[in-house]
Amino acid sequence: MIQKKICLLGATGVGKTSLVKQYVEGIFSEKYLTSIGVKIDKKQVETNNQTVQLMIWDIEGIDRYCGFQAKYLRGASAFIIVTDHTRSQSLVEGLDILKMVKEVADIPGVLAVNKVDLPASWHWSETELAEIKQGFVQFFNTSAKTGDGVEPMFTHIANLLTA
Amino acid sequence: MDASLLAALGFLDCIVFQRLSPTEFEVLYKAGNWLDELLPETVGSKIFSFEHNSAYLEDFLIDAENLWLVNKNGRIDSGMWSEQLSNQVIRLEASAVVADKQSYLIVNKLNAKYKQKQETLQIARESLLTADKISAQHDYLHARLEELLSEPERALTANQPVTQALAQTDLGVAIFDADLLLLNSNPALRSIFDDSNIKTNLPPDKLLLELFRNQYPECERIFSTASAWSGEIFWLNPPLQGKWLKLSIQPIKNDAQIVQNWLFSVSDVTQIKYLLKRNEKLTHFDVLTNLPNRQYFWQNLEKKIQQNRPFYLLYLDIKQFKRINEIHGHLIGDEVIRELSIRLNNLVNADDMIAKIGGTEFAVILELKHSHAQISSTDRDYAVTFAEKLIGTSCLPFYLSSGLKCEVGLNVGVAAFPKDSSSAEDLMKYADLAVYAAKKRSISSISFYSKELVDASRKRIEMEDALRNAVQNHEFELYLQPILDLSSGQIIKAEALIRWHHPDGHMVSPDEFIPLSEQTGLIIPIGKWVIKEACAILKRLESQCEPIKLSINLSPRQVGDRQLFEFISDTLIEYQVNPQQLEIELTEGVLIDNYDKVHFLLDEVRKLGISISIDDFGTGYSSLAYLQKLPIDQLKIDRSFVNEINENSQDSDGAIILAVIAMAHNLKLEVIAEGVETELQRDFLKQHNCNIAQGYLFSRPLPFDDFCKLLHKTL
Repeated sequence: MIQKKICLLGATGVGKTSLVKQYVEGIFSEKYLTSIGVKIDKKQVETNNQTVQLMIWDIEGIDRYCGFQAKYLRGASAFIIVTDHTRSQSLVEGLDILKMVKEVADIPGVLAVNKVDLPASWHWSETELAEIKQGFVQFFNTSAKTGDGVEPMFTHIANLLTA
Repeated sequence: MDASLLAALGFLDCIVFQRLSPTEFEVLYKAGNWLDELLPETVGSKIFSFEHNSAYLEDFLIDAENLWLVNKNGRIDSGMWSEQLSNQVIRLEASAVVADKQSYLIVNKLNAKYKQKQETLQIARESLLTADKISAQHDYLHARLEELLSEPERALTANQPVTQALAQTDLGVAIFDADLLLLNSNPALRSIFDDSNIKTNLPPDKLLLELFRNQYPECERIFSTASAWSGEIFWLNPPLQGKWLKLSIQPIKNDAQIVQNWLFSVSDVTQIKYLLKRNEKLTHFDVLTNLPNRQYFWQNLEKKIQQNRPFYLLYLDIKQFKRINEIHGHLIGDEVIRELSIRLNNLVNADDMIAKIGGTEFAVILELKHSHAQISSTDRDYAVTFAEKLIGTSCLPFYLSSGLKCEVGLNVGVAAFPKDSSSAEDLMKYADLAVYAAKKRSISSISFYSKELVDASRKRIEMEDALRNAVQNHEFELYLQPILDLSSGQIIKAEALIRWHHPDGHMVSPDEFIPLSEQTGLIIPIGKWVIKEACAILKRLESQCEPIKLSINLSPRQVGDRQLFEFISDTLIEYQVNPQQLEIELTEGVLIDNYDKVHFLLDEVRKLGISISIDDFGTGYSSLAYLQKLPIDQLKIDRSFVNEINENSQDSDGAIILAVIAMAHNLKLEVIAEGVETELQRDFLKQHNCNIAQGYLFSRPLPFDDFCKLLHKTL
């Protein structure tokens, strides 16, 4: 069975850990608990062609306390940049991270617009978002709370990597 | 391995492996039983090979192997990671070590350390997220209201969209007129200050202004220079605990860059302060840099004054930092500030104090090495040397973890105790005024507070006021300097140069008012006037003289104006001028600083038929890549190179001009020489195939009528 490494990146508090927890364990907790360092979870996915084991690297939120570490992308097949649509700055930071990733790795990236169970309160216009999405192979509206968009996102990546 | 020795070394809950070969390891020591579950391949055999049971650890082995191969004493760490075992999550960090030619891998279980770090970061990040949301609300509100308020026909009191915007926000908002009289406020502002236990005699808007005035000595300067400001104020309302309020102040200017309104937005950040207080370190220290924060600095400044020994207060402001954030993003911006704070801190003596007192501002209390009552010129020299060191270290490039290289500068404002004042408030105010004066210079500078500085600042404000009225009062005039074809001696085009006839009768040099108008944003209306006037002149030239091309200069700020292209194309239509008669000139600096915007703008103006010239070529960044990428028609060789051609010049003095001419011809660009003053220079240029020139040898810049006469003569 082939394995594929996927890195989850994004600003602090956007819900990276919650997305993985929802996807791997089907659990969601309302309480925000900040992550330190890296945690790797595995999940097998049946794609159109074969079974693939996703190695999902949940990486500590990038902010003033924790910088971007290019070494975490070593051997990665894809990355997800998670943003929170209740916080405009999370997309600004997501785009900063995208720039840094592009400098060190030529792998496909997916944009996750998370917390869609909450009303959007960021100030990005549809036109701006459309332009931003161009930098990614795909984007998904996700909710770690309800599970919306979570499984389709990982399945899409698995299919992409085994196509 | 001796367990007591490991305990003494602080390695308690750990595993130690010795690397025998790139694929073989030996277990030297293990504590607890988590290793068996984490790496089952180690069970039953001391010597083992990794079997892909810990992806993170095996990824780290790639870095470790590099260290082990070098085989010199040293150590690298993996960073923390978590592993899910059957009934627990363990937090680990690995270290690769070389000691006495032996290679080791140590894996520490750090659950307690992880928990401690998580608790600290939890508080810091929760407060960061809350503060982030509040800042975003302020920014959004400012942008929305600025848009609504800058429309001239809006009547504030009965303005439906403004009232709606105010009602919809959770932020307290007060809108003042230019004289700080309240025009409008919202219920959220009243609820922030509404406390039934408190008897305030002042309405919320007046209370807000008073708190700001009392707590920030910078306030006068902010209002007099129409600057934006953001920070925190404290409302002490005994017997309750008081409220911390985040206040943002924004001047709203009209098209002529005159302040119409002041917008104040306020939010209650007491909760964030409470969160920070739970972590004692964070109450007195800046979370980004770990330096003392403004409150702590203020306390120390007051203590210092009580000691009644002379000292200097230095106010430091990072130069052009906004650009770093705009170009590279906030994360890079934070990294630069953190690195800069380390560099600055390294230069500060143990007796001195450095603090981060604002987003891009630091302050230093510089002790003097004596106990004399007064400050001497030697002390001043000492302060200058110290400030120069701070500037020197700031100007060194920053090489960031992502591989990027950034550069910033530093402005330093200095006030002296007790020479300038004996009050903490005044010292801060004066040092702030001094740094504001330093900011006006294009390079990193030091400025000492003085009466002259205040006078210069007043003069500057007066000139700014006069400049604001200059467009309306028709005080500007465009002079035209002919540009000639050297082979025929004919005028082929002209450069339009602005002149200001000050109401007091003297002519103000563009060198004096253009930088000021660039800093204040007045360059936008002035630049628009230039474009309109140039089109009007082109029309008159067409009807009265001979139609020739006219070039106008665009400044960096103009290029950043999103409406510039639309304005140029509308004006050309309004005056029915053929776009091919117009040329725009940009300096190299504008190209580099605003590359994306410039690229877009130049493509668009080129499509219209306007030609493009690079001004002062050779004095800027010497990054030549843009010459091929951008739609450029001409290079103008800077006058400083032309000046070097004289009777005493050596062969090498013309080398740059020759190189520019050759390069331009290869790139199929025209070359224009500026500042030609002698026949020798003209002949040199002609001889080397530079056939277009301007300068005093041919004509100074002339008023329109004189230019027309000259044009007739040469035809």
